Amino acid sequence: MTRHSDSRLRSTVIRVEFVALLAALALFLSTVEYLIPKPVPFMRIGLANLPLIIGLGLLHEREYLLLALLKILGQGLVTGTIFSYIILFSFGGTVSSAFIMFLLYRYGRRYVSLVGISIAGAMASNITQLQLSRVILFGDAARFIAPPFLMVGFATSIVLGLFAERFVSRSSWYAEHAQQEHLA
Amino acid sequence: MKQIRLGDIAIFIVSIAIIAFSLGRFTDFSGEPQVHVRTDGGEFIYDLGVDAFATFNGPVGETSIEIKDGKVHVHDSDCRNKVCISAGWVSRVGDWIICLPNNVFVLIEGAVAQETGGVDDTAF
Amino acid sequence: MRATNVKLFMGIISLPAILLQNNLIGIVLQTIYVIVLSVTSGRKFRVLPNLILLFSVSSAHLLQPNGLLLFTIGSFSVTLGALLLGARKALALIALLYLSHYMVTGKPQFPGRLGRLISLQFFYFDAITTKWRGIAPKRPFILAIDKLLHTVSEQSAGDRQRSESAPAMASAIDLARQGVHVVVLWGLFLAGSLHVLPVLI
Repeated sequence: MTRHSDSRLRSTVIRVEFVALLAALALFLSTVEYLIPKPVPFMRIGLANLPLIIGLGLLHEREYLLLALLKILGQGLVTGTIFSYIILFSFGGTVSSAFIMFLLYRYGRRYVSLVGISIAGAMASNITQLQLSRVILFGDAARFIAPPFLMVGFATSIVLGLFAERFVSRSSWYAEHAQQEHLA
Repeated sequence: MKQIRLGDIAIFIVSIAIIAFSLGRFTDFSGEPQVHVRTDGGEFIYDLGVDAFATFNGPVGETSIEIKDGKVHVHDSDCRNKVCISAGWVSRVGDWIICLPNNVFVLIEGAVAQETGGVDDTAF
Repeated sequence: MRATNVKLFMGIISLPAILLQNNLIGIVLQTIYVIVLSVTSGRKFRVLPNLILLFSVSSAHLLQPNGLLLFTIGSFSVTLGALLLGARKALALIALLYLSHYMVTGKPQFPGRLGRLISLQFFYFDAITTKWRGIAPKRPFILAIDKLLHTVSEQSAGDRQRSESAPAMASAIDLARQGVHVVVLWGLFLAGSLHVLPVLI
């Protein structure tokens, strides 16, 4: 996949509409996920992370950061958790996940596909959330929810990564916007 | 399969390793030493590793213990001889302090295996 | 202060009163109060998820024994102190949850550029959810999302301008009502810390 990334064309303009749209997509997907019946209520597929994965190829770093922020705030407002402990988990998880995914995409694109990026992002997010829950909520007992939590996140991130790869190759909307100048 | 690359496999393996590690810690029910206090009012348990202060009622009054830095001692007691206080700090599994007049028995319980060596030093 | 932001402000001020609450009865009362507030503004209270939360956090705390031994399950000791501590933490979390539910019922508008961005995000969110119903077929999923994105992107900016209107200011009654909530929550906190309420742990 050839990219024409001339540093002179590095854009610092934040395409506000674009980022807001992706952020809105994240909210939408989290409600979709909410409505999917699950055998175990704690199983979070992380559909809402899809825009964060897709956005890797569409946004430059400032926009990407903004996307992550909007996703966190948006989810907090929609679920009404914005002023509780839970927002901290969302914040920690999303930030660490976005950070790792962005770095991997920027520097490791040759070695990792979106699947690997998705897995890495999910692991980073879940480990961060586990550590936070250890400090805030459970204490050392957090190690008991660690294995199932990590396993479910691992499995679902693979599915999500595969989905993202497919989307990127098939979506015309994506193709249209990926041609615009971006930095990644 | 879509292009699965080298890095994907690396990340996959690392993740599996992390999950395995978390499973290992899952079954690590190490018997951390606990301070058991038996009194008239019932049995009380505290974690030796967590600083705490507790007071118990008995026939002659109150007896309080303090847990600090992985050690425990009787801080204060209403008994006449205060033998229990002079017993000082204890920290090893199996150590105990008792206040007979006030019927307070403090014992450190736990898995002996985590002591270094695991075998009684005083065996010989 | 804008009418939409009063509840938000109230919540923020009351937050520490819940976080710092050390008394079990105090937090129980605060939690009940907040749940009632939340339910009266439309949020549903479902017993099961909260019960699960209460149970799991309390159980997690049982792993570190503290206080009076109630009973043992095998080699596992259930202590009163640990149980109450866990309950207190779980209730604090639940209280915060419902407080924040309540805070957002006013549809607060955040100031500044970030605020406008969030409003824009929600505008698109609304657009996406309404347009999604019109999308058919929904399988294959990717193509459906694709269509959705195309349709929504074409939303004219004109639609957006029309939905932003002049903000209404808060009335004295609104302020007074929220003021009552602040007083109650802080009052309960003070009652708890000054040991006016019975101390269980």
